[in-house]
Amino acid sequence: MQHAGNAKRVKSMRARLADAVRRPAITPKKTLKTGNFEELTAHAPAVEKALNAGEKRQVSFAQVLVFELRVRNAMTSPPITATPADTLRSIQHLMKAHRISGVPILANGVLVGIVSIEDIITALDGGYINDPVEKWMSRKIVTLRDHFSLVRAVAEFDRHGYGRFPVLDANNRLVGIITPGDITVCLMHHLERRAEEAIVKEAALVAARTTDEKAQRIVINADVKSGDFESAGKLSQRMREVLRARGVAPDVRRRAAIIAYEAETNIIIHSLGGRITASINSKQVRIKAVDSGPGIENIDLAMREGWSTAGPLARELGFGAGMGLPNIKRCADKFSIQSELGSGTQLQATVFLRKAGVTL
Amino acid sequence: MKLKSVTKLPSILSAVEACPLTDPTGTELTGCYISDLLSDVLANAQPGVLWVTIHTHRNILSVASMKDIAAILFTCGRKPEAAIVAEAVEKGILLLSTPLSTYETAGKLWKAGLR
Repeated sequence: MQHAGNAKRVKSMRARLADAVRRPAITPKKTLKTGNFEELTAHAPAVEKALNAGEKRQVSFAQVLVFELRVRNAMTSPPITATPADTLRSIQHLMKAHRISGVPILANGVLVGIVSIEDIITALDGGYINDPVEKWMSRKIVTLRDHFSLVRAVAEFDRHGYGRFPVLDANNRLVGIITPGDITVCLMHHLERRAEEAIVKEAALVAARTTDEKAQRIVINADVKSGDFESAGKLSQRMREVLRARGVAPDVRRRAAIIAYEAETNIIIHSLGGRITASINSKQVRIKAVDSGPGIENIDLAMREGWSTAGPLARELGFGAGMGLPNIKRCADKFSIQSELGSGTQLQATVFLRKAGVTL
Repeated sequence: MKLKSVTKLPSILSAVEACPLTDPTGTELTGCYISDLLSDVLANAQPGVLWVTIHTHRNILSVASMKDIAAILFTCGRKPEAAIVAEAVEKGILLLSTPLSTYETAGKLWKAGLR
């Protein structure tokens, strides 16, 4: 039921929403000819499709809403009613007091008629305002069911031209009254709520994505000193912890760790010192080992399993098996090495990540 | 990782006269690997094995944890420094020591059923 206080606001909302309600992806007239609610919902995917197309999002929301929302969501309930014995004058007072424009008439709980503000004006004009209601009330009543969709209600308003419909439940009990204004207010209310939800959701998504990307990209660096066997494996361990925390499969973690460890010990054993970097993102870990010399004389030989130039101390400690570079190459999904005598060696190895329990 | 079989520790410990350097409770072995070359262990050891070596340097822990090796057995009566034992406890790697040589150890482990 339309409240006079809302009337102005409602009117402008109506103007804004008119298109939204009357120009849905599915033309209501077509489906409403059958008057079949089931058929209306059966068309809902078409609305979803229109939504997904991303065109006129706000309007599409309204389109979805008029199908989703029911008359019971929008109606004024309980309705202000009167009895057939009441006078038209008392109805006039009821309308004034409650700022309403129509009053259903109940006899023993059964809907028997309706009096509209137009009826009251005519009565005042004709001088029979003190007559009992039953003499003048409209007995031809069109009602809506509370489970009808709003799109159907809108179509019924269009078809009959009435300003309001009494609403009955499944047991023919009068449960409310609905006006076009009620529908508009209801739609606006839900649109507003959806819009707020969407804004909150989007903000949360953006925040999550930002932190996600930040967390996904990690670069670990370590300077590696020549002959520093004590520190071997530190970067490798740190990298392994990061990968484990991200749920990377154990064998993938292990391959990355072996690469880092072998590259690190290579710098310790063979070079004058260098730097090792592990860059981790959501897809891969890239390990880069750069040293400042002396460089590898023959890379082909160095890549051969069992060939080593490691000194006695390294061998004493279990290094110098001549398996370092072959190990790295075997563990890497991508591998490259450049070296020049006198300037140093750059090694780069990439391992593609996959989560534990996920096989590619 | 599919484990073929798991061998309980006590029978193996007594077979090679090993003395545990860390708490052996709950440790189970899936097999054995013997090598003194770290890169070889990195390349070839399976997870959950007993690693037999003469090395007691810190690097063995890095290698062992990288390969998820369950236990390290030092031969020829070797024992690592206390700091390394402490680090092994932290990493959950069991350390053992036997007076036997690597060769004798290998034979007795095989005989005891660790395959």
